[in-house]
Amino acid sequence: MTEPRNPGISSLPLTVPVQTDSSSSAVEMDPVEYTLRKRLPRKLPKRRNDVYVNMKTDFRAQLARCQKLLDGGGHREICVHGLGLAINRAINIALQLQASSQGALQLAANTSTVELVDDLEPEDPDEAGEPMTRTRNNSAIHIKVFYPDPQ
Amino acid sequence: MFTGCGVVAGQTQYLPKDAVRPLTGLMVTRSNPAENGVTAGTCPGYHAQTYSPSVQPAVVNDSIPLKPPPAPAPPRALKLGQEGFKKVCRTEEDSPCPFPGLASGVLEMRVKEGSKIRNLMGFAMARMQGGEGVNAAGMSGGGLRQVVFTGSGRAVTKTITCAEIMKRKVGSLHQLTKLRYKVVKEVWESTEGGASEMTVHRTVPSISILLSKDPLDPQEPGYQPPETLSALWEEKEGVDSASQTACKRPLGPLPYSGVAHCKKVCLGEGLSVVPPQ
Repeated sequence: MTEPRNPGISSLPLTVPVQTDSSSSAVEMDPVEYTLRKRLPRKLPKRRNDVYVNMKTDFRAQLARCQKLLDGGGHREICVHGLGLAINRAINIALQLQASSQGALQLAANTSTVELVDDLEPEDPDEAGEPMTRTRNNSAIHIKVFYPDPQ
Repeated sequence: MFTGCGVVAGQTQYLPKDAVRPLTGLMVTRSNPAENGVTAGTCPGYHAQTYSPSVQPAVVNDSIPLKPPPAPAPPRALKLGQEGFKKVCRTEEDSPCPFPGLASGVLEMRVKEGSKIRNLMGFAMARMQGGEGVNAAGMSGGGLRQVVFTGSGRAVTKTITCAEIMKRKVGSLHQLTKLRYKVVKEVWESTEGGASEMTVHRTVPSISILLSKDPLDPQEPGYQPPETLSALWEEKEGVDSASQTACKRPLGPLPYSGVAHCKKVCLGEGLSVVPPQ
């Protein structure tokens, strides 16, 4: 199961030599090593027809899941979300769904920016490094895959 | 990462006809018409029930009409290279503009994998804000009215990022996003002499984002009104909270999950006032 809320996958124990940027008070190079922990993206709406695409699950499994929602799940529309690198995969899934439906499905894509927070935790607690956070932006896509209403 | 059994079964069916050639899964146009016919004939039926190719995390999708072999093998390009083939040229087939009715002089930013965002944005922002290029179509006073960002394959993410940056900097831009497959033709040539040449068609997902200072048709799929920066998520959460409450997934023991949970509860209550459609 691709539970994105699993805290286990969120912590990437990378050691980054933290450099003092111009905004911080320290002037000399900071020797303290930090562990960069990437927090998970916040506030994910989770309906039954929301699919969050990631890069860890097999592509075909994710595609099959979407197909199942549309075919057997009785949904007339699903929402495929992708963040960062997974944008490509989300687009791929949406286009594959559309292709296999022989044109019955339509796509409506929206893009957005998601603010992500990284925690910097000092490696060595004895040293005077303070935990810090950094925010950065990443792009995201939300593709509505739907059967257009007959008019 | 490995392929399912269904695909493998399909593959065995498919292979014998093609066993001579190592390049299963590629629709190959060789000089030999008979062989080509076989490939073309078998491919569509075969591919109809199998799914996509993105076996590897490689971003470029290898084709709908062509089925890649379900192997944990290195990327296709490498494989072709190992078989003694060299890519001689790569042409992107011209595809019609995804935005019908768009003025012909609209600035189109073609984002490539190696494009620098600062270069792209420096140019595009100058055209959108400044008074340069006065003769370009779609001009009226302070800069261009519309800009299109297009990118395919690995450049898709960058394309979206550019559009997002521009929306943030310029403000109140209407957006129209279109997705489609783009066909790329590659010609491979045998390196071991001989005049064997192959043409490979592969399809790559591509995105086109139109940003406009003037209003666009809101009925068009893929339309996004201005300033939906964060509203997108909230709104979606609100729209059918009914189904959301029905769908209860246990939240992990995550430090942040508490917050998220609170939020959901609040939203659910708030929506009893505003009935969902």
